[in-house]
Amino acid sequence: MIVLVIGIVVVVAVVAALVVLRRIPRHDTGVTRFQRHIDALSPEARRAVIDRGTQHPDGRREQRDN
Amino acid sequence: MARDLAIDLGTANTLVYMKGKGIVLNEPSVIALNRQTGEVLATGREAWQMIGRTPGYIVAVRPLRGGAITDFEITERMIRLLLQRVGVSRFSRPKVVICVPSAITEVERRAVTDAARRAGAADAQLIEQPMAAAIGADLPIDEPVGNMVIDIGGGTTESAVISLGGIVALEAVRVGSFDIDAAIQSYVRREHGIAIGERTAEEVKMAIGSAAPTEDEAQAEVRGRDLMTGLPRTVILTPEEVRFAIDDPVSSIISSVARCLAKSPPELAQDFLNRGMFLVGGGGMLRGLKQRIEKETNVPVRMSNMPLEAVVLGAGHCIEHYDALKGMFMGARR
Ligand SMILES: Nc1ncnc2c1ncn2[C@@H]1O[C@H](COP(=O)(O)OP(=O)(O)OP(=O)(O)O)[C@@H](O)[C@H]1O
Ligand SMILES: [Mg+2]
Repeated sequence: MIVLVIGIVVVVAVVAALVVLRRIPRHDTGVTRFQRHIDALSPEARRAVIDRGTQHPDGRREQRDN
Repeated sequence: MARDLAIDLGTANTLVYMKGKGIVLNEPSVIALNRQTGEVLATGREAWQMIGRTPGYIVAVRPLRGGAITDFEITERMIRLLLQRVGVSRFSRPKVVICVPSAITEVERRAVTDAARRAGAADAQLIEQPMAAAIGADLPIDEPVGNMVIDIGGGTTESAVISLGGIVALEAVRVGSFDIDAAIQSYVRREHGIAIGERTAEEVKMAIGSAAPTEDEAQAEVRGRDLMTGLPRTVILTPEEVRFAIDDPVSSIISSVARCLAKSPPELAQDFLNRGMFLVGGGGMLRGLKQRIEKETNVPVRMSNMPLEAVVLGAGHCIEHYDALKGMFMGARR
């Protein structure tokens, strides 16, 4: 009998814990993802690509006459 | 193994950026076909030289003219050829990011991504031109400030306000620098009675076209076909009359910029006044246009130092940081 009561209490506790956990918004995934997005747009992150544009001869070639 | 690619599929020019490498292709978006067999005879610069000079059985076209995909089949073939030329095959399946006018329809979008996938891309994503332009023009779009970009291309004018990596306001019209060429063509026909081709009209625009009076203006000699006699004839065009001739499309371009400003949240008005608006795209290089936009909107305008490459560089940046920037792709929002 006691075993059964303890069993029910454990199950209820686990379910309650799960419900509570699901209710806490998962802040950090959104925050991390947004931060990654913003970091990838920072001037430092973009430097390499922009420099490639200014160096590459192909990039500047066929403009004026078209 | 082909590397991942970013493509600026412009109505006038196509540019391709290869991951880790930079811009590997830059040429007019023109394709020449055999009218009878449908065979592709030339693309890019070679096809551009044929515009208006082909015998009856050849047709040289810009499939994206007007900022819309006027011919799906030809567009698909152009994308396929483009990917082949930069080394994409059935065995190397790169990811591809393609810049498209933001005004294109859902159907057109699908057509572009499907075409790229059928041509060998493992994944094809789209990004709006002004967003790509803002990234490529090195604007501080990672900060909570209003960055306004104006991209005036051959077939479209797109203005967007971007803050914190997302679009705040957007305004696009299917009016661009080709419409200025067309206005010159019809003016010369109407007022001088001669017919000129679109390439000649474009040369006139580049040589003496302007949106506002500028220093050291010159006249231009234009050769065309007399509408009455059918014989070649030369006329002189003054900068004033060209300005008058192109006033309609120029005004439409400026009104669309003004509409984008009006759509922006008031909080950002200050940012525009302090930081100015950034002008990219070949059409933005028209003389006096910067001054005219400034005068009519009361907002300073700055020219990007890479007006023709900004869009492809921005898309190139997205291919370099594909996972982090997935949220910028059209349809992935936000
Ligand atoms: N110096 C110049 N003055 C005026 N117009 C110019 C100049 N240089 C280029 N153009 C015009 O710019 C246009 C091409 O610009 P761009 O390459 O930005 O267009 P696109 O990206 O292909 O078009 P879109 O963005 O509309 O799809 C052409 O119509 C060309 O005539
Ligand atoms: Mg463009």
